[in-house]
Amino acid sequence: MGTFILKRLLHMIPILLGVSLLTFLLMSLTPGGYLQSLKQNPQISPETVEKLLAKFHLDKPWYVQYCYWLKNVAVGDFGYSVQYKISATDLITARLWNTFLLSFFATVVAWFVAVPLGIWAAVNKDSLVDRACSLIAFAGLSIPEILLALLALMFAAATGWFPIGGAQGSLYDLMTPTERFWNRAHHLVLPVLVLAASELAGIMRQMRSNLLDTLRAEYVTAARAKGLPEGWVIYKHALRNAINPLLTIFGYSLAHLLSGAFIVENIMAWPGLGRLTIEAYSAKDSMLVVDSVVMATALLIVGNFVADLMLAWSDPRIRLKE
Amino acid sequence: MPLLDIRNLQLEFGTGKDALRAVDGVSFTIAEGETLCLVGESGCGKSVSALSIARLVPTPPARYVGGEILLNGRDVLKMDQRELRSIRGGVVSYIFQEPSASLNPVFRVGNQIKESLKLHRPQFATDEEVIRLLKLVGIPAPESRIRDYPHQMSGGMQQRIMIAMALASEPKLLVADEPTTALDVTIQAQILELLRELKQRLRMSILLITHNLGIVGDIADRVAVMYAGQIVELSPARALLQRPLHPYTQALMNSVPQLGHELDRLQAIPGNVPNLGQFPSGCRFHPRCPKAQSDCSQKAPELVEVEPGRWVRCPYWK
Repeated sequence: MGTFILKRLLHMIPILLGVSLLTFLLMSLTPGGYLQSLKQNPQISPETVEKLLAKFHLDKPWYVQYCYWLKNVAVGDFGYSVQYKISATDLITARLWNTFLLSFFATVVAWFVAVPLGIWAAVNKDSLVDRACSLIAFAGLSIPEILLALLALMFAAATGWFPIGGAQGSLYDLMTPTERFWNRAHHLVLPVLVLAASELAGIMRQMRSNLLDTLRAEYVTAARAKGLPEGWVIYKHALRNAINPLLTIFGYSLAHLLSGAFIVENIMAWPGLGRLTIEAYSAKDSMLVVDSVVMATALLIVGNFVADLMLAWSDPRIRLKE
Repeated sequence: MPLLDIRNLQLEFGTGKDALRAVDGVSFTIAEGETLCLVGESGCGKSVSALSIARLVPTPPARYVGGEILLNGRDVLKMDQRELRSIRGGVVSYIFQEPSASLNPVFRVGNQIKESLKLHRPQFATDEEVIRLLKLVGIPAPESRIRDYPHQMSGGMQQRIMIAMALASEPKLLVADEPTTALDVTIQAQILELLRELKQRLRMSILLITHNLGIVGDIADRVAVMYAGQIVELSPARALLQRPLHPYTQALMNSVPQLGHELDRLQAIPGNVPNLGQFPSGCRFHPRCPKAQSDCSQKAPELVEVEPGRWVRCPYWK
């Protein structure tokens, strides 16, 4: 078990190397750069720009830059954001935390609503409840996050119940710790709901069809034949098996959450990793782009890894190969 | 009073005009300690009939149209859920065709057996009793096996676990639905041997469902042959094997290789089993029957006792 975890963590390294290398290459292939655009500013002398380029090794070929980047990352230094003019490490850490909060709560909300609803729909198959759930699910699957995020903003603006965008109020620095907590929670509500809504539909349908499948399984008939009450048959024998495929989906849904977070963060002005990536990209802050893509990748790999561990714990047929 | 008395059981799938009658007027009895074999091709209604004994066929889609299933004198079709749960396992236990599919993959086998004990003999829901049951069904080193998951065992072992689980509640009737079909031949023989031994030791009734006539002689006291939702012949096993009366039974026997009777070719029964809802008029076997007469397509024959204890659904059996 310990060896398995270690090996999986070691496997992360080549993936992250590949992703960073590819991002670096692609960024270097795009024309221009943040400092290049400074050259057009008549107030900055060309010598200053040259000096800055040399300072950040931006005058070297991309693979040399990559090696410098790698050397720094190895000691925990993610470079310097030329756009924000602060250490990229600090910037990324703050943004990563925000994205983590958003994704985490969206996951919790989505799963806690979707799984019971899916079970309910499966147990009462073809009933009014089941049909209502299907309707909601299809609506959830077909309404794009962009539209949902915009609607949420309109809602916030119309009612004034929720802040319009952002992660904290303007007076945040003056607040007591309790006030800060509630202020952040208040800001989280709408982005979390928008992100969870799109997740929810898929998980609910998956839960429903998994449970319907297991309810048809022979071991369910065998459990009934033993004389078990129907509740035990459904919630012990069938559900325990229906949950397993969902754990695999958990890994995928994390990828979906991250890409969804890109959209939601941008529209709802949530200062997360997705927003940072896009801002960095449009400002040609290439170091920051690479850093955020690598971070998002790491988040995704860790999420999948956690999903694998949960599945191995839940399904005795899965053996963790060492 | 026989332990099980099924009278004129009729079961349909679907409703209204599209209803398909899977079981049409099936009647048979099983006495205490008796073993009855239910023989027939796939889709003839034998599994559905057997599952009906504990009302395990999901309704809907199925629907009981008529008949009675008297278990210990009580009609299963009229029982409420509570009473049904107490006879499931308590009076009648099941083992199924695919042991790997009938054991829940995520629970340890010991716990699955214990679950049965908790329901029907709570005072015996202990590891010792589980180990005793595993010994009874011939599992070597049972102490080390109770914490195994089903996938860690071979098919034959899994079927022994299923049998142990079925026996845990000390049922009066064991329904075995093709218990050896998914196993290879040597394991088949072992499982049959085990069933025969248990039957004698526990004085239990067995309803064995099979499409393999070869098994019948090994274990059965009586045999019911089903075709297209009906019983076509019901007879003591020995008599049936020596001299089958119904043309369908005869055709089935001719399609099984026998030691001592050297044949160049086994005889296949021409045609196919008719699909549900597309049964021919008159006798349902007449399009495939070598002895069919002109009026076989008009008049549906009744199941008639032609010799003491021997029932045949064919007027031309002689």
